[in-house]
Amino acid sequence: MTALDLVVTAVDDSLPDVRSVTLARPDGTTLPSFTPGSHIVVQCGDVANAYSLTGDSVQPTQYEISVLEHPDGAGGSRWIHALEVGDSVSVLPPRSAFAPVLRARKHLLIAAGIGVTPMISHLRSARQWGRDVELLYVHKPGRGAHLDDIAALTDAARIYTRRADFLAVLADVLSTQPFGTHLYVCGPAAFIDDVVAAAVEHGWPQSRIHFERFGVGALDPGEPFIVKLANSGTTITVDSGVSLLEALKANGLDVPNMCRQGVCGECRLTVSGGEIEHRDTYLTDADKAAGDAIMACVSRAASSELELKL
Amino acid sequence: MKPRLELTSVPPWTVTPTLPDADRTGASWTVVAIGAEAGAVVDTWCAQIASVRPTAAVRVHRVDDAVTAVEAVDADLAEACAGWRLMVAGPAHECLRVRAHAVRCDVADDEMIFAATEVEQRTVLCVHCHARTTTTAALEDTVVCNGCGRNLFVYYHVSRRQGAHLGFMVDAERPVARA
Repeated sequence: MTALDLVVTAVDDSLPDVRSVTLARPDGTTLPSFTPGSHIVVQCGDVANAYSLTGDSVQPTQYEISVLEHPDGAGGSRWIHALEVGDSVSVLPPRSAFAPVLRARKHLLIAAGIGVTPMISHLRSARQWGRDVELLYVHKPGRGAHLDDIAALTDAARIYTRRADFLAVLADVLSTQPFGTHLYVCGPAAFIDDVVAAAVEHGWPQSRIHFERFGVGALDPGEPFIVKLANSGTTITVDSGVSLLEALKANGLDVPNMCRQGVCGECRLTVSGGEIEHRDTYLTDADKAAGDAIMACVSRAASSELELKL
Repeated sequence: MKPRLELTSVPPWTVTPTLPDADRTGASWTVVAIGAEAGAVVDTWCAQIASVRPTAAVRVHRVDDAVTAVEAVDADLAEACAGWRLMVAGPAHECLRVRAHAVRCDVADDEMIFAATEVEQRTVLCVHCHARTTTTAALEDTVVCNGCGRNLFVYYHVSRRQGAHLGFMVDAERPVARA
């Protein structure tokens, strides 16, 4: 996929820890349109991070992202927070793994913290097309992002600054949605797990539950393991805290990859031996059960050795 | 040569009588028995639901055919909330008809299950005149169309939207005897 070379046209630091960045082509021409819930992968120095687009999705002349600074992260968010107007930024075109289901009778959006970003483009599109939408948003006091956008885009938003208040209404909200509603959840991993578990408890089927785990709640470093390459017979050790993708790359194997968060599906590899600990959200349950494919960016071996068809 | 049926649109439960357990993951249920034989299945399902959700809202309808079943489903769907499940027991061809209606109402595949008490009868939709013929027939059999009299091949395709097997003229290229 061809990268887009953009420049920073504006930064907004009005919220503590969250920076909104506006990117555009140097000549200001139109950028690719995107479906609601899309993200771009930004090359942040040595790391590539995915960020949801929050601006207009139809023939936009600018891309807008909002980035929470993770002081202890891999450096991507710190890199964004150091950008200045006029700086060049390389991004991959928008992709979506979190689009609204157009057949849905209603869209229930539930977000926490910076997880509100993909919901903004959902709200824009819902308003444009007259879709029934409702938003529940939990954030720390004084840390609400995109509150102005939310107020402008919907009357059906409920915003909470205390988790207990949100949890007090969650059961009622989940159990009273009209049949045909789809649920979209984004936020820290534990938040997503809790909301999804509550939805399942209230009888929601998997096909109506959608979530996106971007950038929040890092995976544990995992156990070290040995990977054997079936074609060459080479063995490579993957240390704890190092991804299979990184280990392969360090050994000169150029595996196509993009989001590095188990979402995009780019780095899928064929496994010919060993057990897999799947940690991605790309493969289906059936794919995972088949045990012959691994997303190298996040997943690891569940056995001491893994054999790849490479 | 038959294709592997799991690679076709023919649901396995329309080939072999199937009595699945109740879907106990829902929050409310509409349970439909079509015909007398389905009554016992529905009783089993209700007991299974009661064992995990004793206070759950379960609406049971015992009806004679798919048309009445569809009316019952419509009435319940009008008030249904997220978490609703549909479970239907009856002859496979009647279940298919209810499923087609549910699909049109945007009921998802993981929100409905079917128990086939009988799989001998099939409804065949004629691709030539669009009439439906319900008769005892197996896949690959030939049936005579109710509407146009053509000899229809019962093909391994079930339309989700129509709830019927597709049938096409099997002898279109055979010379016709003339007097």
